[in-house]
Amino acid sequence: MRVLKFEKKNTNKLFDVLSKFGEVWAPVPKGESYSYQRIESSKDFAFTDGCTRTVLPEKKLLIPQKFSTLNFNSKGYEKPDEEIPAKIVFGIHNCGISAINILDEFYTTDYIDADYKQRRNKMIIIGTSCMPDEHCFCDKTNTNIVEKGYDIFFTDLNDYYLVWIGTSKGYDIVRVGQNMGIFNEDIPKDVSERFSKFRKEKSEAFMNDVDLEGVTDLMELSHDADFWKELGDKCLACGQCTMVCPTCTCYNIIEENTLNKDAGTRERYWDSCMFKDFSLTAGDHNFRAAKSERLKLWYTHKLKAFIGHFGVPSCVGCGRCIVTCPVDINIKTVAERLKKKGA
Amino acid sequence: MNNKPTLGIYGFTGCAGCQLAILDCEEQLVDLFEAADIKVFYEAMSNNDDEAEVDIALVEGSINTETQKEELLEIRKKAKILVAFGSCANYGCIQTMAYGDGKWEERFKKVYGDMKFTVGKAIEPQPIGKFVKVDATIPGCPPSTQQMLMAFTKLLNGYMPVYPNAPVCLECKLNENECLLNKGIMCLGPLTKGGCTAPCPTHNTGCVGCWGIIDEANHTSELKLLIEKGYKKEDIIRKFRIFGGNNIAEKIDELLEVVK
Amino acid sequence: MKEHDCRHGRNTDSGKPHNHETQVPVMMRIISKKDLTPDVRFFQTVPTKEYRYENLDYRPGQFMSLSIPGAGDAPFSVTSSPTRKGIIEFAIRKVGRFTEKIFTLKDGDLIGLKGPFGNGFDVEKFKGRDVIIVAGGLGAAPLRSLLLYILDNREEFGRLIYLYGARNVEDMLYKEDFFELLKSDQIELQLIVDENNEGYEDRIKKGRVTELFSGIGKFDPENTVAAVCGPPVMYKFVVQELLKLDMYKNDIYLSLERRMKCGVGKCGHCIIDYVYTCIDGPVFTYWDVLNMIDLI
Repeated sequence: MRVLKFEKKNTNKLFDVLSKFGEVWAPVPKGESYSYQRIESSKDFAFTDGCTRTVLPEKKLLIPQKFSTLNFNSKGYEKPDEEIPAKIVFGIHNCGISAINILDEFYTTDYIDADYKQRRNKMIIIGTSCMPDEHCFCDKTNTNIVEKGYDIFFTDLNDYYLVWIGTSKGYDIVRVGQNMGIFNEDIPKDVSERFSKFRKEKSEAFMNDVDLEGVTDLMELSHDADFWKELGDKCLACGQCTMVCPTCTCYNIIEENTLNKDAGTRERYWDSCMFKDFSLTAGDHNFRAAKSERLKLWYTHKLKAFIGHFGVPSCVGCGRCIVTCPVDINIKTVAERLKKKGA
Repeated sequence: MNNKPTLGIYGFTGCAGCQLAILDCEEQLVDLFEAADIKVFYEAMSNNDDEAEVDIALVEGSINTETQKEELLEIRKKAKILVAFGSCANYGCIQTMAYGDGKWEERFKKVYGDMKFTVGKAIEPQPIGKFVKVDATIPGCPPSTQQMLMAFTKLLNGYMPVYPNAPVCLECKLNENECLLNKGIMCLGPLTKGGCTAPCPTHNTGCVGCWGIIDEANHTSELKLLIEKGYKKEDIIRKFRIFGGNNIAEKIDELLEVVK
Repeated sequence: MKEHDCRHGRNTDSGKPHNHETQVPVMMRIISKKDLTPDVRFFQTVPTKEYRYENLDYRPGQFMSLSIPGAGDAPFSVTSSPTRKGIIEFAIRKVGRFTEKIFTLKDGDLIGLKGPFGNGFDVEKFKGRDVIIVAGGLGAAPLRSLLLYILDNREEFGRLIYLYGARNVEDMLYKEDFFELLKSDQIELQLIVDENNEGYEDRIKKGRVTELFSGIGKFDPENTVAAVCGPPVMYKFVVQELLKLDMYKNDIYLSLERRMKCGVGKCGHCIIDYVYTCIDGPVFTYWDVLNMIDLI
């Protein structure tokens, strides 16, 4: 892997380089949080050090909240003929990159999802290092440092950034930057000490003491535990947890017609397993009528199911469910119940 | 003209805002009028054919008098598909805020005394579904342009409209808002039918619940949560009732039990 | 930690959906239809000329998704057999808005098709063995695919025992076909209805499908596979009977229903525990079922 150095003063020029390759997207402040938005000019472009997490995760750039997946008329269906723009996503943290790695596995194993694939192929991931806040627990899900999944990654070593190049696409970008003189190979001699110090500071900064040891098996053992009912009674079934979860992928489709025209679209939109009709079949048989059953399904999926399929849990420790759930049902509190703590 | 589905738009008690919302679809209005042969639309036309049989009847408003009840039954006879259009028709909206408390007659007396009525004998306001079979619903106070047009288009093409059975929170989150409940703002989003695109929470104002209560709304948990956030239980229950319509009435005892 | 131990497993060798990536339905034309019961209609469809049939291979027990432009889509099991090429058949019960729309379709109308989806019955594992098929109500639709497959390759299978129970005579699918088969020596067929068999006493018994097990005679559990499909309540009782006959748990195949939408394990609606019914099922062995809480 090639490693370079990037001076902080060159941030504006970095935008100029990135925008040569496509639309630049990065977290921008929204309310008290952040949101991935398109950056149109270098004056709006910055390393958003304050952004620990955005409200909606990176998945919104790969599978938008709602979009037309097919067009139809009375003769049949076809894929819309649309140009997917290249998106350079800047400022994704380790958890976000890990989540995209999981989405890649999910959407391209056994059966490929064309809607995902065409957007994913056009996405360039530029990661930036981060420090955890009180909700982060990526250290517990082994997603605090990513080995793969980024095209370029910037590690903040205070005076400068260390630039890791992950792919040839990333290298293409860096080469253009090198021609403009913003990346150089002149890395200070003490870089190893500095990098180790960064790693140490980061690992010591985790405050969330969520304990995920053995939860996979505990999910199995707690299938009939009383606390599910209790959580089900508390759950508002608002679906926010699934919307903000970077690895939740469930969707639904609905067809929309056009007035006075023999045409319409098949719309794909985010669905949530927390909603009542999620498992409702024709003939009104609901396999998961109780909220407790739906919660159990979600936590099974986060803590257990994905391991069976892909060898890693599908929770990346981003802390969004902890920040978001108004009634405090989240990975942390469920793990506590599984471990019989704080019950 | 002949092959177009016929449409009747009828209004009972309400603010007529739902009918107005149709007229507010400025860009698509021509398309809409072209797609249907509109027989009745008092809000917008002078040539109304009250006797006409219609393929689709959009009924707005709640039923507040015996006369309205009769008229509604007549519409049901004339219509192939009857659509409850807007919150009043669907669940009663604010005129049913005190539904089921048993004090309607008392209130009525207090306000109107012995006044003589020419519009028929008043009854406690109720949604149209209490009297006739409703084939399809278009929720909203008033319905959102987007969802309403989607529903019209389905109906005029011979399909029933379908909506995600999801609370306001779905669209609120898709708009990438932070949850107002976490900021201590009273928001009825989790209890309320979505489809409105969550304009209120998007503008930092708690949802008041105007689209009506969603299936499975967890009033108990929300009540406990809002009490924790420092709201008075009376205020919370009052808020639940404003747009709770006839659906909240059956839950009130349970809720009062919780806050005892 | 429990591995993904779905023994029957995904079908990766045959009948993989041709259009799974883009999820674009191909258009089929309805060539005939017939009412099987008051609320179940049989549809025959053929590919339109834009689409070539050889791509449409499938296994008995797989399902396909039907689309009507503007109305949406829904999954249906295939009731025809891959041995009878050229026509794909469905037996569809009117239960909701979408199926009501399907019932308005006329001969010559177009209908979109995606699939085949799911694993279906692994018929290779059935070959050389005795087969017992137990159907309840509409379960006879997917099991007809298996039945025809076996009848069309009769010499490759041992005994063929078929038990079919329905609520009453009117609700029995393919009645005339079954009456014909009662005369055949290729199949040991028994029919039964819960409520009223008046007028059919000679051909249809009265009672529960589980009561038919006593009539199947000498039984070789070592060399038998069972295929079961019916309403959710039926499985438990039928499985008990099969276990009483000393059948192995992973020789009992159950075809289950869930809310399947995308058919390729992505949309999530059909998930049970860690299993996607649409790709890991809809056919599971009883052993799978025991290992997956909530399956039946």
